[in-house]
Parts: sequence; structure tokens; C-alpha cells
Amino acid sequence: MLEIKNLHVKLEEEDKQILKGVNLTVEAGKVHAIMGPNGSGKSTLSYVLSGREGYEVTEGSATLEGEELLEMEPEERAAAGLFLAFQYPVEIPGVGNMTFLRTAVNAQRKARGEEEMSAAEFLKVVREKAKALKIDADMLKRPVNMGFSGGEKKRNEILQMAMLEPKMCILDETDSGLDVDAMKLVSEGVNALRDEGRAFLVITHYQRLLDHITPDVVHIMAGGRIVKTGGPELALEVERNGYADIMSEAV
Amino acid sequence: MMARAQAKQDALSARIAALALPEGLRPARDAALARLSGMGLPLRREEYWIYTDPARLNAAEPPALAAEGEADFFAALDRARIVFTDGAFDAAASDDLAQAGVEIETLSDAASRDIHWVRDFYGSLETQGQTPVARPFAALNTAFAADGVVIRVTAEATRPVELVYRSTGTVSDPILHHCVKVEGGAALTLLEVGFAGARYNTTLEVDVADGGRFNHIRTQGRAHERVANTHLFARVGAEAVFKSFTLSANGILTRNEAVIELAGAAGVAHIAGAAIGEAGFHHDDTVFITHGAPGCESRQVYKKVLKNGAVGVFQGKILVRQVAQKTDGYQISQSLLLDDDSQFLAKPELEIYADDVKCSHGSTSGAIDETGLFYLRSRGVPEAEARVLLVLAFLAEALQEIEDETIAEEIRSRLESWLL
Amino acid sequence: MAALDAEVREGVDRETVETVQAMAGKYKHGWETDIEMEFAPKGLNEDIVRLISEKNGEPEWMLAWRLEAYQRWVKMEEPRWAMLNYPEIDYQDQFYYAKPKSMAEKPKSLDEVDPKLLATYEKLGIPLKEQMILAGVEGAENAPAEGRKVAVDAVFDSVSLGTTFKDELAKAGVIFCSISEAIREHPELVKKYLGSVVPQSDNFFATLNSAVFSDGSFVYIPEGVRCPMELSTYFRINAENTGQFERTLIIADKGAYVSYLEGCTAPQRDTNQLHAAVVEIVALDDAEVKYSTVQNWYPGDENGKGGIYNFVTKRADCRGDRSKVMWTQVETGSAITWKYPSCILRGDDSQGEFYSIAIANNMQQADTGTKMIHLGKNTRSRIVSKGISAGKAQNTYRGLVTMHPKAKNSRNYTQCDSLLIGDQCGAHTVPYIEVKNNSSRVEHEATTSKVDEDQLFYCRSRGMDEEEAVALVVNGFCKEVLQALPMEFAMEAQSLVAISLEGSVG
Repeated sequence: MLEIKNLHVKLEEEDKQILKGVNLTVEAGKVHAIMGPNGSGKSTLSYVLSGREGYEVTEGSATLEGEELLEMEPEERAAAGLFLAFQYPVEIPGVGNMTFLRTAVNAQRKARGEEEMSAAEFLKVVREKAKALKIDADMLKRPVNMGFSGGEKKRNEILQMAMLEPKMCILDETDSGLDVDAMKLVSEGVNALRDEGRAFLVITHYQRLLDHITPDVVHIMAGGRIVKTGGPELALEVERNGYADIMSEAV
Repeated sequence: MMARAQAKQDALSARIAALALPEGLRPARDAALARLSGMGLPLRREEYWIYTDPARLNAAEPPALAAEGEADFFAALDRARIVFTDGAFDAAASDDLAQAGVEIETLSDAASRDIHWVRDFYGSLETQGQTPVARPFAALNTAFAADGVVIRVTAEATRPVELVYRSTGTVSDPILHHCVKVEGGAALTLLEVGFAGARYNTTLEVDVADGGRFNHIRTQGRAHERVANTHLFARVGAEAVFKSFTLSANGILTRNEAVIELAGAAGVAHIAGAAIGEAGFHHDDTVFITHGAPGCESRQVYKKVLKNGAVGVFQGKILVRQVAQKTDGYQISQSLLLDDDSQFLAKPELEIYADDVKCSHGSTSGAIDETGLFYLRSRGVPEAEARVLLVLAFLAEALQEIEDETIAEEIRSRLESWLL
Repeated sequence: MAALDAEVREGVDRETVETVQAMAGKYKHGWETDIEMEFAPKGLNEDIVRLISEKNGEPEWMLAWRLEAYQRWVKMEEPRWAMLNYPEIDYQDQFYYAKPKSMAEKPKSLDEVDPKLLATYEKLGIPLKEQMILAGVEGAENAPAEGRKVAVDAVFDSVSLGTTFKDELAKAGVIFCSISEAIREHPELVKKYLGSVVPQSDNFFATLNSAVFSDGSFVYIPEGVRCPMELSTYFRINAENTGQFERTLIIADKGAYVSYLEGCTAPQRDTNQLHAAVVEIVALDDAEVKYSTVQNWYPGDENGKGGIYNFVTKRADCRGDRSKVMWTQVETGSAITWKYPSCILRGDDSQGEFYSIAIANNMQQADTGTKMIHLGKNTRSRIVSKGISAGKAQNTYRGLVTMHPKAKNSRNYTQCDSLLIGDQCGAHTVPYIEVKNNSSRVEHEATTSKVDEDQLFYCRSRGMDEEEAVALVVNGFCKEVLQALPMEFAMEAQSLVAISLEGSVG
């Protein structure tokens, strides 16, 4: 599904290398987790994959089902099936959440040459999916992420994911700022979307999210590289011993 | 149209009939006189004078004035005092200029030298400040200023320099012009205290080179009948900091103009004013800040407390040129009207040609907060005191612009004593 | 039901954005109607004023009024204080009267109007048949027909073609007709109110209009009547080198209510055309008037060639106690816009509101805003202005809020936001605030910023392309004003926002 080869990335505005040769393959139907200390390059990886400005790829490639991602516009990546759940979802004043969702759904459908969803069908689907995430009608009406609590914002990201039905989902620190209940809701939302044709890359600092979303593979990232790969037990090891041991081992 | 142009010229002729161009700095003075002749003097209802009638500034004679009798400001501060009495340098009353810790001379001394930086500097920022809006009284100042100080700062000044204005006569019309050059990385605090005469016209030109810091604190005296017309022209270099605060109380007419250009990247300019006045008080702050370089920050904070038919005017502008990306511009002008006869007239402007900017302005006007007043009284604070507290709270944002705690505290306590 | 409506409406933004996407990004009303016209000779003098008056079959008093205005005008100077830069206008190089030949005999009803003219309005989506509703509104057919009727006065160059729903309105006592008809049929009302809000000598352009206005709309809502449908005037400039000078007079008698819509378009031409209109509104005790404009005159091309010079004086006199006037405008067209719809809050407890979206793209220049003159006690005003600058455009908000000494306990709130798209344009704010009593409270806030990159990226990461993302974010920025518009206009306005900004990114 997602194949990253020898990815080197620096900041556009300053001479600072952030990713120094990331190699990663995520297969369809699998959940991969990336863990790592602050500043290891986890979030940069998610931004570079989704096409945010400010980064320069100096070497390497990233493909989604064989298509080179790095040369696409952000919206083309979305249409190709990539979805990033933001660590800090953006607030957009004046734009209704529903409007936003519908615009996004139909833009992607159009890009893929599919029929648009009718207003009635859209309403039905949105309500159903919102209900599962305990997103009420009021939240759907309010402007995108405006005045949402941390938990509401993250649930809203998952709702977008559920509506857009991407193939490759990247969750960037989706657990940050969540209390236990919200984490459960979000995780259930994610688990409901797990299937054969879809892959997940869960980026997190702590192991606790992985109690709810069980990964198939866990990677440890440090200093802009993946330094260790293992099964779910690797996450538990981090939880017990912290990153220091693994990092020294890796060196 | 012709008639108006003629009237402006006539006003000018009448105003300068009794003035003579002083010796020294003649090329700059002649040029200023030529500028002035091109402009004439402002008349009522010109766009730039919509809220302030320039008649008192145009009048041939200044008003008569009773002496003030205010205690000296900043007595607790170690500072170098330069005294001007009735608009003339008063060597006897002043501290030794050589001991000031910075290069400091009187304008007339500096002008008498064959080689001096002030020859090129004098009037240069004023000239630039004449566009896009003509400021005839500043040109008049450059042409006719009798004296002033010339300061050059090459390092961090160890103590503030204080310009003390004293007025003994009941009728006087002094014109003073000061030039300050803060070199790269140097720093100076300049205090201006008192009123120079019944009607005074002062100009301060300040160049703050890259990385320099200039702090300006001014108190304008409390004489009720005085007329003041001041101009502050500043050029702020890269990563330089310019800050100015003015306290005004009373005055039948005060027009303080400030023209500041942020000429180097990441420069900072803050300008603030607190004014309180009553009956016949007319106070006008007219500010023009130009962001001419990227990444600069500017703040304008003006607060006025008006009573018994006092009039407060604020005309403030932020101009952001196309090069000035990443500009952070803030402007607030507020007035507290303590009774129904007072007026607040404001024109807060933004003119923006760069897109990556964050600029905002706010302006409010209203009465004292009755709920706040009631709350304080319900906690046992007598009404008069509660009002003073609320007025001081209203002025607080402007006072916060004063960096030095000692100075801020003195200004706060003066204000409190005047209000009580 | 209400909730569903809201959702449908939410859904419509989306449709709009899409429609816009499908369009080529060009001014869509730039075509012209090929029709034989009758022109008055070029230029302006007393004879032209007499001719216009005669063509309209006006009584002597009206001609005298026009001539007085003309005499004033020749002595006036064109104002140049706005932040607008345009070459000198040659007032002698214009036609001041142009009328389709087929209108020589005033048609008795719209059915008799030249089919070419009717087709013009049909193409613009303006319903001149009474069973029609305003075109382009999805879902409108589900709404109750009663609530959706809009009476239209169609003004083509210098003349009104006719008004719809006249009979039905007459039953309610509402007079809705062209101003030329009102001058003939209702002279007592016209005499009483014409020029009572915008005096003949008000300003250069209003004085010009007073001398040469050729037609426009007249509305009178009698005491206690709530106008049974929305009224609208649709202005179309068609003829070349012809100025349009329409005059609108709306009188809402005690306790009356009316919502009035105004639309404007013009063909795409290389030369500039002059439009100098005057709108006067009088609101008596407890009356309420909503006046909404979608101004979409031809803006000129991306190099600044052609476009309408739009100099408009709009003013409402809230003469009665508790009267209320709300101006909403969406200004997307014109090469030059000079326009300050204002409220004189004379009656105690009267209210004025001004909601504005001004979009300037390419070489457009807009200097627009409002005046809120508080004279009465407990008067309220609210100003919400959203300015968007793109391309090489200059966009200025200019406003005045005055609290007179007698306007005790009054309030004003002003919010002025500017959005910049690209680094070649300008956004300016010039408010004048005059407070002359202390029981009134005035609050003014203004911000200027660029379109938020994070918001655009967020939209794009969800699959929208850049222009779609900009349209969505800008529509969000304007939401508060769009919501103040009647529904039909809100749709049109949203799509206009998007169209106007096409080509502004990338």
C-alpha cells in the first residue's frame, strides 16, 4: 500500500535535515505504529506525506499503491486515497462542518470520476457515522473545528476519515489531548474502519493509544530514521523502559 | 480653490511676520522655509485638521498664561538635566553637559561648528515626514527653531537625559528642535518634562540605528491655557527598538504628531499616550507609522479621559508597504467620557499593501462602567475613590507601555493625585 | 422542519461552489442584447435635461427640480478624496438617455414588451413572468409558492420595462412602479419625499443624478402593511457609451415592512461606463426596510480595460421612532466603486445596519462603507464589513459613525475585516468616529490578514483543489454578511464570491 524508500527531508527555510533516510512499507489491511521521542521526525513524516509546504525532499520516494506521492498536490494525494488525521485540526471560521464534509466528499468523488452524493444520501450517511462517534447535530452545524474541545476535534477528524473512506490513513498523535473516554471513542471509530483494503499508520508518543488500536507492526523512530521494528511487544517495551534503551541499542 | 490657497498663504505670512531665521544651519532652514511657503498654514476643515481647529496655532500671538507650579518630575531618578527656560538653554540651571555620559551639545553650539553630523541630519527626517501629508508646523519649526539639543549615543547611556522646560513669562512662543542619533547597539532614555512656553512648538528627530534602543517619556505640564504643538520624527533601523510615551493633562490645545518609519527588518516601534483633561481641553494625537521593512512590530496605544466638554482626538495610521511582509501592527484608541459634554473624535486608519500581515485596530468610547463602580462601592470603596480607580484601570494599558518601573510608578501616582 | 431547511441550505453552499467551478471563470453577464435604440444626443446641457423630462412625460415641477439640480451641478467639482485612481471622466462624451425603440409606445403590460428584451432578463435569470420564481435556486420548488414570490421592476438602460405582480401588490395597497410612472401617477408622494433624504445638492454625483435620472423604482408601503412579497429591481446597462442614472425612492409608512433586492449587470466592453444612482429610503414610525444589493456590473478585464464606474449615493432616513433599515451589499463588480449606503437614525430607538462584502480582484478599485448618523435617543447601529482584495486591486472601507449630543444611550458596533490574497493588492480601512455624548457607546474593531495557509492546506488535504479551497474559506470569512441576505441572493452572492476570485491563486 504505502512504500517509503530512503526518504530524506529538510526544512525549506533553514538548513535543517529532519528525516535522514526513512524506509517503511505498510501493507494493505495492516496497522503500523510509529513511536518515538519528541523531535524524532514523526510529525514531519506525516506532513511530508500529505504534502504540506515548508519541507524539501532531498532524496528518496514515497508511493501509494505504486504511484509517486511526493509530486502530487495535496488534493491529488487525498483523491488517491491518502488521509491525514491532523495532530492540530485547523479551525475554519464561517464554514459549516457539513458544508466542509460534503465539499470534500464530492471533490474526491469528482476527481475519481465518480457520481456525486446527493444531498439526501449525504445527510443520511453523515448522521449515521456521526452518531457512532457521538458527534451531535450541533457539532455538524458549527463552523469547522471552531470552539470544539480537543476531543471533539479529534472525533471530527475520524468522522472525516469515515466519510472519505481513504485507503491509507495516517493518524498523527491522535491521542494527544484526549481523555480516556474520548480515546475510546476515537479508537472505536478507527477500529470500525479497519479492513482488508485499508492500511493505517498510527503515529504516537505514548503506548496507551495502542492498547485500543492494536498494531500489527511497531516502528521506533529517532533522529529522523526508523531505528527498530518489531511487534506490539515493542510498544510495551517503550512503555516500560522509555526510549533511551532502544536508542542506545540502535546506535 | 484659489481663494483657499491664498488664505493659507495669508495665514502663513501673518504667523511668521515677526519671526527671523536664526543663524546657523542656514541651508536646512532655508529649505524648510521654502517647504513651508509651498504648503501655507492649515485652515479649518482640511482633511488632516478635521477634528482640530488650527486657529490657535496660526494666531500671530500666543495666549496669556499663568505659571504652573507643578513639583519636579522624576526627582528620584539619577538623570542628566538640561534646562530650557522660556525656550532658551539655561546653562546655570543645567547639569554639566560634559558629564551627561553621552555626546550632548546645544543645537546652537553644534550649528556653529564647521563640521558636524547635525548639519546633514537637521530637518532630514522632518522633510521625509512631509509626505504623504504636509505638516507645515514642523517645517516652520525647522526653519525658525531658536535652540534645542543635539545628542549622539554610541553606547548604552548610563542614565537618562532629561529635557526640562520652564516658563517664567506669561506670554511666550518658543520653538525648539532636538536631534538624537542612537548608533548601532547603543541605548538612551530621553525624558521631556514641562511646558516650554504659553504656546510652544517642539520637534524631535530621532534616528535609531540597527540594534539601537530609544526610550522616550514625556510629560507636557498641567497649565490649562497652554498651547502645544509637537512633532516627533523617528527612523528605526533593523532590530532597533523605539518607544515613546506621553502624559498630557490639561492644555487648551495640544497637537502631538508622531511620524515613525520602521526602515529595517525586525524593528519595533511602540507609541502610547495617556491624556486627561476637562473644560476647554482639546487634545489631539496624530500618529503615522510606516512599515517599510519586513518582520517589524508596531503598537499605538492611546487613552483619553475627558470631562466637562473636553475634546479628545485621535488620528492614527498604519501604512504597510509591499516589502513589509510579516508585519505585526496594533493600534488601540479609547476614550472615557466622564460626562455628556465631552467628545471623542477618531480616525484610526490602516493602509496595507503587503499580504502576510497581522494588523488590527480598535477604538471605543463610552462612559465609566457603572457595574464596576457599584461593585467597588459595595466593597466599601467610597465613590470618588472608586471612580479614580476605574479611571486608572482604563489608562493602565497605555501606562504599561512605560518600561521603567520607577518612571511608570511616578506617572501613576501623579495621575492619581491629579484625579483625586 | 427548520433543522432540515438549515441542512439543505448548508448543502447549497456546496452546489454553488461546484457551479462556480464549472464556469469558465469569466464574467458571465458580459454578453449584449442586439436591439435598436433611441439615443438622446451625446453630452449634457439644459436641453438634454429638458429632453429626458419630456420623454418621461413629466410635469413642470419635476422639470424645474431637475434644472435646478443641473445648475448646481455645473458649479460643483468631482470629489477626489476616495482612494480611487481613474482618469478624468468626460461628462460630455456620454449618452444620458437610451431607450429601446420598441419601447417608444409604453407597453401596457409586460406581455407586450419586445421579446428580445424579455429574453435578456430570462437569460439573466430574472423572472418577468409572475408564476416564475427566481432562477438558480435548488430546492426552491419545495418551498411554499406564496413565500417565494418576488415582484420585479426591470430597468433596461434608461427605461423601466415594467413591473410584475402589480395587481397583487395593489390589493395590499403597495405601490411598486417605475419612478417615471410614480411622478405622473403619485405626484403628491414623490413631491413630498424625493430629495428629502439625499438633497439635490448632496454631492457631485447625486446632483448629477437629480438632473438626469431617467428611470428607477418607486415603492410605497402604506401604514401597517407588511409587503406580501419581496420587491426587486434589476438594472441592466446594455447600450454603449451610455451612463445609467437611476433613482429609487422607497417609503415605508408607519409600521410597514418591505424587503427589497437590487441586482445589476452590464455587457463586457473595452470602454468605461458611468453609473451614478441615488437610492432614498424613508422609514416612518415602526417601519422596517431591508435593502439588499448584489452589484455585479462588469468589472473590466484583468488588465483593467473597461468596466463600470459606479458612483452611488444610497441613504436611508429612519425618520420615525423604532424604525429600522438594514443595508446588505455584495459588491463584486465595477472597475470603480464609490458607495456608502448610510442611515440617518433620526427617530428615537431607530436602528441601522450595514452588512457588506466587497471583493476587488484584478485591477478593480473599491472605496465603500457606510455612515451611521445617530441623532435620536437609544439608537442602534451595527456595521459588519468584509473586504477581500486579490490580484492588483485596491479595496478601502470608509465609514463614519457619529453620535450627536442628543443621541443619548445609543450604541454602535463596527467590525471591519480585510482579507488579502496575493502581495500585489491593497486593503485599507478609514473609519471616522465621532462621539459627542457619554451615555453612548461606540466600538470599532478592524483586522487585516492574509488568507490562512493552514486552512487552505487542511481543505486541500481533504481533496479540494486550491480555488475551491479559497472559495470555501472566503465564503466562511463572509458568512455573517451572507446570512443577512435573503436566501436567493445568498446563493447568487456565494457563487459570485467564488467567480470573482478565480485566477487569484496559484
